[in-house]
Amino acid sequence: MPQISAKPYESTLNLSFDTPELAEIAYRVLSVDKEPRRNFVQKTLSLELDVLVVHFYADQVKNLRTAISSFFEALLLCQDTIKQFGDAAVEPEAQEENNAGAQSSTDSA
Amino acid sequence: MVCSLGIEGSANKIGVGIIRDGEVLANVRRTYITPPGEGFLPNTTAKHHREVILTLVEESLKEANIKPADLDVVCYTKGPGMAPPLLVGAIVARTLALLWKKPLMGVNHCIGHIEMGRHITGAQNPIILYVSGGNTQVIAYSNKKYRIFGETIDIAVGNCLDRFARILKLPNDPSPGYNIEQMAKNGSKYIKLPYVVKGMDVSFSGILSHIEELADPTKNPNKRKRTQEAESSETKPADLCFSLQETIFAMLVEITERAMAHCGSNEVLIVGGVGCNERLQKMMEIMCEERGGKLFATDERYCIDNGLMIAHAGAEMFKSGTRMPFEESFVTQRYRTDEVLVTWRDD
Repeated sequence: MPQISAKPYESTLNLSFDTPELAEIAYRVLSVDKEPRRNFVQKTLSLELDVLVVHFYADQVKNLRTAISSFFEALLLCQDTIKQFGDAAVEPEAQEENNAGAQSSTDSA
Repeated sequence: MVCSLGIEGSANKIGVGIIRDGEVLANVRRTYITPPGEGFLPNTTAKHHREVILTLVEESLKEANIKPADLDVVCYTKGPGMAPPLLVGAIVARTLALLWKKPLMGVNHCIGHIEMGRHITGAQNPIILYVSGGNTQVIAYSNKKYRIFGETIDIAVGNCLDRFARILKLPNDPSPGYNIEQMAKNGSKYIKLPYVVKGMDVSFSGILSHIEELADPTKNPNKRKRTQEAESSETKPADLCFSLQETIFAMLVEITERAMAHCGSNEVLIVGGVGCNERLQKMMEIMCEERGGKLFATDERYCIDNGLMIAHAGAEMFKSGTRMPFEESFVTQRYRTDEVLVTWRDD
């Protein structure tokens, strides 16, 4: 884990999904990739029912931004895949509102 | 019976393939083509892949006429390659595997090429020349590993061709190497270039610098060379393409022949994007004939990066009992051919 200074920049994303199952899929898919070692960002993912909570700590705002941007790229791709191919695995009723979105975001940078 | 879907996206090609018990059901691909004179960069390539990958998965299922439930395994390229494009394939493969409740398999890109080549051509135990934009290796199978006999010590042969095409401003459509090959057909005068074989290894970067100076003397002013070249009239781009191909392919044929002699093998299999160059195939064929050997090569559908090769290699791994825990489905930019334990071959 990279060393982060005593006063870090932080950000938490709360991302809600239609069902806890879909949230878990996103959680497992996005948990695999570790932050690059030289990025000095710590990323922790956790699951609260149908909400995926992602917390970032960084030593610099710039690094925080990079980490969040690349996380969003991965999240959007995962979400689009669920939207397009999820119907076979998930109950059909759940399809109509297949919009997992960023509900709230708190920054303390 | 194993039905496998494979996603490949380690460089500027993104492809999805489906194979069922060795029968090709689908093989679709898109290439990210940059303007002449420009190469492809990791992040913009990843953006291209993100935009088309889901359409490709859809297309492949349609072409194969199967439902996700018919699949046994979902495969993706684990490496080697550029991280951002690799990640696109990995994320989609992971999501699909969880949605469809199928096992996930990470495949070594080079192994994908080798197994696809063996499957399509029927070559049993060939010496493999793997030549592409990112890799140049002479490989032989021994004791459950594909061993690297010789390789490039700097840039890949395809990288040398691609970058020379950029100097000449040849289009990247369909591929820079293809356009060099076509241009070389109009060349006849052989211009002497450095010939760099070091034991079983080859080097291309010096040849590239040298030919770059010949093509554009203003770029890297080297006075001694420039006065020499100025006397010997102008060099035509076609002659340069011709000479470059003859030189670098001769180097590849030399190390391949040495590997054949060492292993006592009489089969050669050419795989990788540069492998669909007909001049390289012709030169290799002449060498093989002289030794009483046989050349195996495939066309651009299977030579150039494709999803099918990942599906096939993944299916072979799956059949032989290899399983990958989901948590290990990361991507890695460096992943050598000889790191993979070949569980599916018994010879």
